[in-house]
Amino acid sequence: MPDAPALLSTTSIAKSYGPVVALRSVDFTVRPGETHALLGANGAGKSTLVKILAGVQSADSGQVFVNGQPVDFPAPLDAMTAGIATVFQDPALIPHLTVSENLRLSSIAPAKFVEWLGWFDLADLDLNALVQELPLDTLRMVDLARAVARDPQVLLLDEITAALTADQAERVFALLAYWKGLGRSAVLITHRLAEVMRVCDRATILRDGRNVALIETASVNERQLVEAMLGAPVKPVAQESRETGNAGQGQNALEARGLTSRHLVQDVSFAVKSGEILGVVALEGQGQERLFELLSGERQPSAGEILVGGKSRHFRSPYDAVRDGVVLVPGDRLLALLPSLPVRENLAVPIFNHIRRWLGIPQDEPQRVAKAIDRLSIDTRAASQVRRLSGGNQQKVVIGRWLVAGFRTLLCFDPTRGIDIQTKREIYALLRELAANGAAILLYTSELAEIPLVCDRVIVIHAGRVVDEQAAATATESSLLTAAHGLEVAV
Amino acid sequence: MSQSPAPTTAKNAKSIGLTFRLLAFLAAHPTLILLGVLAILVLVAGNIRPSYLTVAGLRTTLLQAAPLGILAASQTILMLTGGIDLSVTMIATGAAYVTANQSPNGAAVAILFGILVGLVAGSANGVGVAVFRVNPLIMTLAMSGILLGLFTAWTQTILQGSTQVGGLIKTVSAGAFWDNRIPYSVVVWAVLSLLLIWLLRRMGWGRLLYATGDNEVAVRLAGVRVWQVRISAYALAGVLGALAGILLAGRTGAVDLQLASTFLLPSVAAAVIGGTSIFGGVGGYAGTILGALILSVLNSILTFLNVGQAIQQVVYGLIVLALAWGYAGLTRRG
Amino acid sequence: MSTLLNGRTTQWQRLLARNSWVLGVWLLLGALIVWYSTLIPVFGQFQIVSISKNSLPLIYLAIGQAIIVIAGGIDLSLGSLLLLGNVLAARFMDEQSLGVVFLVAVGVIVGLALLNGLTGYVISISGVPDIVVTLATSYIWSGLALWILPSPGGGTAPEMRWLFTGSPSGIGGGYGLPILMIVVPSLLVYFVSRHTRTGLSLYAIGSHPVAARLAGLNVRQAKIVSYAIGGAMAGLAGLATVAITGTGDPRFSVGATATLNSVAAIVLGGVALTGGEGSVLGVVATAVTLIMLNPILTAMGIDSNSAQVIQGVLIAGVMMFGGLAILLRERRS
Repeated sequence: MPDAPALLSTTSIAKSYGPVVALRSVDFTVRPGETHALLGANGAGKSTLVKILAGVQSADSGQVFVNGQPVDFPAPLDAMTAGIATVFQDPALIPHLTVSENLRLSSIAPAKFVEWLGWFDLADLDLNALVQELPLDTLRMVDLARAVARDPQVLLLDEITAALTADQAERVFALLAYWKGLGRSAVLITHRLAEVMRVCDRATILRDGRNVALIETASVNERQLVEAMLGAPVKPVAQESRETGNAGQGQNALEARGLTSRHLVQDVSFAVKSGEILGVVALEGQGQERLFELLSGERQPSAGEILVGGKSRHFRSPYDAVRDGVVLVPGDRLLALLPSLPVRENLAVPIFNHIRRWLGIPQDEPQRVAKAIDRLSIDTRAASQVRRLSGGNQQKVVIGRWLVAGFRTLLCFDPTRGIDIQTKREIYALLRELAANGAAILLYTSELAEIPLVCDRVIVIHAGRVVDEQAAATATESSLLTAAHGLEVAV
Repeated sequence: MSQSPAPTTAKNAKSIGLTFRLLAFLAAHPTLILLGVLAILVLVAGNIRPSYLTVAGLRTTLLQAAPLGILAASQTILMLTGGIDLSVTMIATGAAYVTANQSPNGAAVAILFGILVGLVAGSANGVGVAVFRVNPLIMTLAMSGILLGLFTAWTQTILQGSTQVGGLIKTVSAGAFWDNRIPYSVVVWAVLSLLLIWLLRRMGWGRLLYATGDNEVAVRLAGVRVWQVRISAYALAGVLGALAGILLAGRTGAVDLQLASTFLLPSVAAAVIGGTSIFGGVGGYAGTILGALILSVLNSILTFLNVGQAIQQVVYGLIVLALAWGYAGLTRRG
Repeated sequence: MSTLLNGRTTQWQRLLARNSWVLGVWLLLGALIVWYSTLIPVFGQFQIVSISKNSLPLIYLAIGQAIIVIAGGIDLSLGSLLLLGNVLAARFMDEQSLGVVFLVAVGVIVGLALLNGLTGYVISISGVPDIVVTLATSYIWSGLALWILPSPGGGTAPEMRWLFTGSPSGIGGGYGLPILMIVVPSLLVYFVSRHTRTGLSLYAIGSHPVAARLAGLNVRQAKIVSYAIGGAMAGLAGLATVAITGTGDPRFSVGATATLNSVAAIVLGGVALTGGEGSVLGVVATAVTLIMLNPILTAMGIDSNSAQVIQGVLIAGVMMFGGLAILLRERRS
């Protein structure tokens, strides 16, 4: 294939954030009329490259070219003017304004925009609705339609299908095919390799801030893509052996009986024993968030009860739950971090959760904190401010808070979301170790493949109800997924 | 890999490296800059009026700085939690009134009643902010209006009588010992300062104050009842305000409704100059002490220059702005 | 057909729901006026003129504050800018020809807009919080005011007084002009803020600055515009003050009180201090309400000190009520 002239390209782009190097040197080329995937593990530098191409940040060195001309984007508007329209993971829409007011701000004619919305079956969307009243999936498609309506040369789509249903994703792919037919280009940043194989012509793979491979997708399979991303043959995630012998022998540490909260959680009953990891499987938005809120004392159930150690408890706030040894690692780790404080103070916060301990700091606090840092092998090089830590280290800090303070039941909501494989393994190993030492753990994870490797038992939630329970040893990804859709699992 | 130099610093690496390292060092120790600014201002003041660099000269500044420093302590505590207290000077004035009124009953009773005023008003602020989630700016603004109205009315009714504070309070507020060298009020301020720094750095409560200002949700999820932290902070801020008011009353001897009002903005400014973030979670009282001293010396300089109220205000504003700007620029770099 | 009707009712319901707070404060103001008219023996032209003209400075200042807060800032120097506008007008309009008076008026508004725009610029490049920068500039502007007019005095042209009060002497006169001076600037700022691209960009940077930048807006420019509008409104407030009182008054405390009242007025008027939310229309009603409290309480035989207390309790009470409502709504969902 002869080299077509590049529509968008970069040479030796580098970018550092203080001591952290995000991009070392990236050469990246998009041809006219191609759909190009940008792949890489977490921390490979994908989002930094997108930010530079979109004019959100400027590179430390290197050059961006559009149609062969060197360009410089001091602000996002400059990138748009140059013909690059980006759809970010968080919709760039103003929550307090209506859709049409948002269009007005971007100087986009509503008629053209509505025409593109038709691709998503949203042509009758009420343009006078406030953005904050619309669901996330709608907003992502609104954002996409707005980007397309700018009539750019290149569309930059960051995890565009992440919050979408399968049906909605199909519609996006249809639009991309049409877009390609118009001779326009698109760059897809995604984790879903099936999409890459289906939609993209070529894939650039980033690793450790460099472009390590340029692959014609027609010539490889998914496994080869993953190997290129990791730079090593693929191994299963949590292959640590699990002592199934003693699991599930302990007392009921935490039990839910008929737990109900409006329509979100309906009559949910289960028990998790000391020494056991109980997995929770659910598709997006089946009430699992609310269930964890109920169990951690963030909200009160409208019916049903929570039992701790066999006794009925009423959690009015997280304070009550924590005092009963029921502690939460929330899905959004930023909720549980003190970003401008050091690692040590982050870890020590729960020590002071009773007014009795306000005066003074316990003698053994430094040792307890040091022990937790050690056990989690937290990288403390940037320890003066937790905001500077990597995502994986931040997540360790969130879990570490409870190692310092002590607990009996750990509620983990998707603790490995957006975390690199190494840290993922460490976290799963830690959870197993905690369970072996007698802790009860309730684990929700969005990565089904990992459930059989980490958990002892699994409950499946669909539409706010527990619809199935499986032994982790025999559960498979497909049996879980079937149940998660509310379907009977064929035995 | 952390040792590989960034590409941009490759040229002129040495000279840039040196300035950069100096800036990085100063960014890590911002109190050094404040100390430097303070020293320069003191020297400037001494240059304008040589008698300033005597015991008597410095004593005047310290006498002024003590109440300001204590009022700024209230702001520091609250700003660490992401709050602020616009009623602190009215609390000070009210406490001074009650203390003056109770002075015939002896200094101890009088001071106790004064502190009680601070405790009640501060706690009320705390309940409004922590339980009812009123914006601190609005809650304390309303409290300020309420107190002003109440005390204006009460001066003609239940607080009629003594508007003079007793001898002991006067001595503590305005007097000095060791051949009239060291003002008692500075000793009071020093003791309170040590107590506060200890509270903020060595107590669980202090940790929670910073944590609450940094991320309230994280603190709540850690099982802390955040409202307790907030209410106690506002209550303590009220008590400190009351103490400052009593000192002010002792310094002037008599009380009036404008007693502390000119200190409101400087109390916030002192904390800001001292490096406490108005958004919470960052700062400390040591910086605020320097901030209060800087503002007091600045005041003395402007008085010496005899430039008139107008220029004083302009210069005051410009310097507060310059210090805050410099501080922000420096700490953002690091 | 029926869907069309349905669509229209939901549109109406939505309009009501979105503006319920604004509607509420206007109803409250209406009720207060009716109640006030029953409290005093005669309620007529004089009372209407007095309330409307005395509200003018606070209304202008609160509108300016509202715009700045909507754009995600807060301006503690607005009261000092009012002082500056007031003394500039009093000093340079005194016994001058109408042409000069007009030029001074325009100069005050434009000049203060530029000055406060500069403040906005400093905030956006320095990274110092709005509240700190404007705290500092509040000293600078009030110092300048004191320098320009060291003691209360000066004056203005009868035409200026007539424009804002409806009477060349500032006493008596009809209510047409003062009410017009409330309505015209309010509606103008309202229209600009809700129906122009510039105005919407102010809401955008206050609501979600990151999204605003990603959507291609110039955040710094919008910030400067918001402060410039605030400055212009403070200038207008200064002109209104000189027209009502006939003199200039450079006292610092006057400015500080005005600033704090402007913040109280916008918060009660439904503008969220977190930015991006609220409308200048509600703010106008609460500004008038705050001014009306005094005569009402006086008419009820309550002395001015108690009035101060009641005003404070009212502000705290309303905000507590708002906080409680949010709390309950969260609980229920």
